[in-house]
Amino acid sequence: MKSLLEFKNVKYFYQTKESEINALEDITFSIYEKDFTSIVGPSGCGKTTILSLTAGLLTASEGEIILNGQPITKNDGRIGYMFQRDHLFEWRSIWQNIILGLEVQKKHKDPEKLAFAEQLLKKYDLYNFKNKKPRQLSGGMRQRVALIRTLVLEPELLLLDEPFSALDFQTRLKVCDDVYDIIKSEQKTALLVTHDISEALSMSDKIIILTKRPAKVKEVVEISFQGQTPLAKREDKEFGKYFEMIWRNLV
Amino acid sequence: MKCKNKNKVISYSKARKQYLKRIKKDKILVLFWQIALFVLFLGVWQLLADNGVIDPFFFSSPSRIVNTIIDLGRDGNLWIHIWTSLYETIIGFIIATILGSFIAILLWWSEKLRRIMEPYLIILNSLPKIALGPMIIFWVGSGTWATVVMCVLICIVITTISMLNAFISCDSDKILLMKSMHANKFQILFKLILPNSIPEFVSVLKINVGMSWVGTIMGEYLSSKAGLGYLINYGSQILKLDIVMASITLLCILAALMYFLVSPLEKKYKR
Repeated sequence: MKSLLEFKNVKYFYQTKESEINALEDITFSIYEKDFTSIVGPSGCGKTTILSLTAGLLTASEGEIILNGQPITKNDGRIGYMFQRDHLFEWRSIWQNIILGLEVQKKHKDPEKLAFAEQLLKKYDLYNFKNKKPRQLSGGMRQRVALIRTLVLEPELLLLDEPFSALDFQTRLKVCDDVYDIIKSEQKTALLVTHDISEALSMSDKIIILTKRPAKVKEVVEISFQGQTPLAKREDKEFGKYFEMIWRNLV
Repeated sequence: MKCKNKNKVISYSKARKQYLKRIKKDKILVLFWQIALFVLFLGVWQLLADNGVIDPFFFSSPSRIVNTIIDLGRDGNLWIHIWTSLYETIIGFIIATILGSFIAILLWWSEKLRRIMEPYLIILNSLPKIALGPMIIFWVGSGTWATVVMCVLICIVITTISMLNAFISCDSDKILLMKSMHANKFQILFKLILPNSIPEFVSVLKINVGMSWVGTIMGEYLSSKAGLGYLINYGSQILKLDIVMASITLLCILAALMYFLVSPLEKKYKR
């Protein structure tokens, strides 16, 4: 398999007035194309920092981050970012929200891109809500819209920063399945950051476990289940074993 | 939605009917008392004035106010005064709102500038702008422009501060989202910050309606040859307090009219 994203000896120091905080100490890992990878670690260990570095929102203090053979640049447009909350713009309709990225990149007159956006909406049962405002949609639907908003830009890599943590448990399982289904059927490579071990387990092909700050890669676990959907995986008898192993690595 | 409601009319439950009835009753009750209070206030005032309990020379009375307005209206000058105050207020209101928002955008744009300007904004905000009155007359002369400048001074600082707060309070993840889409600062401003701040902008408009009237009347007190502020000043100098009270009544009506022009916006953009 071809590796899509590579972290090579990446270090990151946060600067504050009081001191320098060593957030990442020597992070090295690879993510393969079309794989779903999760990063888990103790809270405050710098998981989100890794995502920000990957998206080019921060610049590494040392080391290299390579996406598809090219180093990440500032605000790199090749990446799609999904946040804890959907951050749909309330003053825009669903359709206008979805083409926000196209507008920003001045591609909103490109009929091919628009057709792609429309096709995604239809495929994932949101076409009828095209002209609705975000507040008229349920939490799960909103998160789906947020995902499609990033997919429309055809990102090479999808970053998910605890995208389900704002949802209640029932919705969470459902949306988790939905999002997983969309990512797999669009054949996207995804990097998920979460503190929820079972969520990571149910979605990932590979889990990267970090140590507490300053973060290092403690363990990389390859996951394979019989089940296909996240929900089915949760019922797999291997699930508990994996869970325990990761849990032990975390504490 | 409306259509749906129409179809459902028949199927309303008893409890629902009672609930709707109660809401309607409450609404009527509130409106009744609003009107009753107004009538009662005017009635008692008139009665006390007629019976000599209060001296109508100092306290005027509803009938005297109406007569004064009619008299002033007849000689034509009233319209000049109303029009003068009205356009001074509107011009001041528009300039202050636009300029204040523009300054807020500049301060949002540059964090350095914001930090440099912070103490000045605080001082300007706490300074009673009326203190600048004499200087304004020297700078722009007396008359309409002095009043407009006063009006702008009173509204602009609070406009800038409110809008800046609205801009800054935008969710930082939303900004990150825009950045992750490779948006530049202009796009972040026009596609996120400005539309996100519309509810705050509407409340600024509402505040400015009141503030710009304060500015206009203050400006006209200072120096003017026309306007409702001038009329109040004039009335008190020649000891015709009926004129003062008539002007205040007209002011109430004008301010209320302007407020009702702005308030539908609030309903539309309220979150």
